[in-house]
Amino acid sequence: MEYLATILILVGINVMLAASFNLIIGKAGLASIAHPIFYALGAYTSGLLAIHTGLNAVAATLAGGAVAALFSLMMSLPSLRVAGDYLMITSIGFQLGLLQVIKNLEFTGSQGGLSNIPTPVSGPERAFVFCVIALAAAAVTLAAIRWIVRGPYGRAINAMRDDELAFQALGRNATRIKIVIFAIGCGIAGIAGGLYAFYFQYVSPEQFEILASGTMLTMVVVGGMGSTWGPVVGALILVALPQAITFLNLPPSFMAPVQGMIFTLLVILFLFLRPQGLVPPEPPAPLAHRPADREGKGAR
Amino acid sequence: MLDTGVLAQILWTGLATSSYMVLFTVAFALVLKVVKLWNFAQAGMMAIAFYAMHAALARFGWPTPAAVAFGFAVTLAATLALEVWGLRVLRARGSSGLFFFIFTLVCSEFAAFALTLVFGTEPVPLFPQILSPTRIVAGIAVSDWDLMAVSVTLALCAALALWLRLSRDGQFMVAVSDNAALAELYGINARRAYLAAFAIATVFVCAGMYVYGSRTAVIPTAPLNLMVFAVVATLLGGMGNVFGAAGAAVVLSLLQSYSVLVIPSQWQNLLLYGFLFVTILFFPRGVPLDRLRAIFRRAQA
Repeated sequence: MEYLATILILVGINVMLAASFNLIIGKAGLASIAHPIFYALGAYTSGLLAIHTGLNAVAATLAGGAVAALFSLMMSLPSLRVAGDYLMITSIGFQLGLLQVIKNLEFTGSQGGLSNIPTPVSGPERAFVFCVIALAAAAVTLAAIRWIVRGPYGRAINAMRDDELAFQALGRNATRIKIVIFAIGCGIAGIAGGLYAFYFQYVSPEQFEILASGTMLTMVVVGGMGSTWGPVVGALILVALPQAITFLNLPPSFMAPVQGMIFTLLVILFLFLRPQGLVPPEPPAPLAHRPADREGKGAR
Repeated sequence: MLDTGVLAQILWTGLATSSYMVLFTVAFALVLKVVKLWNFAQAGMMAIAFYAMHAALARFGWPTPAAVAFGFAVTLAATLALEVWGLRVLRARGSSGLFFFIFTLVCSEFAAFALTLVFGTEPVPLFPQILSPTRIVAGIAVSDWDLMAVSVTLALCAALALWLRLSRDGQFMVAVSDNAALAELYGINARRAYLAAFAIATVFVCAGMYVYGSRTAVIPTAPLNLMVFAVVATLLGGMGNVFGAAGAAVVLSLLQSYSVLVIPSQWQNLLLYGFLFVTILFFPRGVPLDRLRAIFRRAQA
């Protein structure tokens, strides 16, 4: 039963990660691969706060999300200030640089990782409680993102992504929208990191290496870039596939690379054969019956 | 401690160490200049080049020239496959930059996973002995590896400069990098220019991995970090300026080498990421050397 609950917790966390990454890369069209580092920032912040200050789990997890969102500004402000592909370049440097910091600091546990993160729930029902929390957090994330992208702000995001020049010519501030979307996505990844840290009570830097970006890309590209439900399908595949591979009884040294190869191969195949993913993006919400839009009070 | 002997030694060692960084940077900058592609698949190509040479040397027991030729052939095949069956399809479809980015990055990751499966995660050098004979020249320790690294880099860069300037294909490549559509109107085959750019980049990648792997043990994911250096140097040198990027790689390498005097070695790599931010913040189009020179001249006057 605990096994099944753990699988569902991973599904919940991965849905949060995939949906938030999809918001950045699929909806806003921002090329970044640094999502795992924001997940790491949330996990480490929550874990460290719980260990050193005894802060309760909810506050520590939210603080993890806030720190991830703040750090996202450090990355997006300089790179989105200029046009072009700077965000994707900065994202690689940012991820590798911060991982270097985490690996070298003693209080983060250095290379060995951060262990003994206190659990807020103990006893036989621990896994079940976490399962409910993770799935509820995933549902709230999906609902919040759907609310953002189906509303006027979502239409502004679509317009910006499709034709930034025209969008700016209309007097809209594209950079501000990008920075806000990026911060929201990274903040959600940070909260997912907090959930992970409190359930598994251990985080290590190697979980958030650049190869982890590949697994996140798999969820988004295979699920459907830009679609609301695509990340759910992507996350289910990402969690189910390793469990299926486990039944092959491969040696542990084979497991990780085989899994990685399957994920990356799936991304490549989908990019060429089904670029819209398993769940294609929904058409934009109709403009009718939205007085705010008619008055021109949409997002800037 | 900071006598001229130490500083000169760091300078020489830094220059020798910068050699493979220059080779990786030139490969990256050339593809960016001609194909207009941030080729993150280069990390995968670097890993393939290294492990192909390693397999030929350590597993098949081939002599070094044959191993290098094998490494080049395998990497060239992979690179051309990437261009013909991957990038060309995306280009024909008019895919967005995001697709190119995901595709090239995921190709690198796929190569890293595949090589991990075959060769494991244990670091391996190209040769069992990574220390080379050293002599003292004017108070500076100069190893055979240093001389080999510097001479290979200088020879390849000179050959590329001459080829771009004097050969017909090189001039076509420059024309395509300026304006591919216009070049095609004049009868230049842009696809051929792209293939040539990838082939030359493969030469630089293989040479770089040979130089790097003959002194350092490599794991399949190591090229990803090396590639970030090439990206920063390309940005600093100014996109489209291949030899400017090479110069930036030398400067970055020297700065990293001299940084051991002031910061602990484990933080040395962080310097690179610092440069990345400074570059993107202040010099997103590269360091404007002409403008700096003009300011300097004006100040002198």
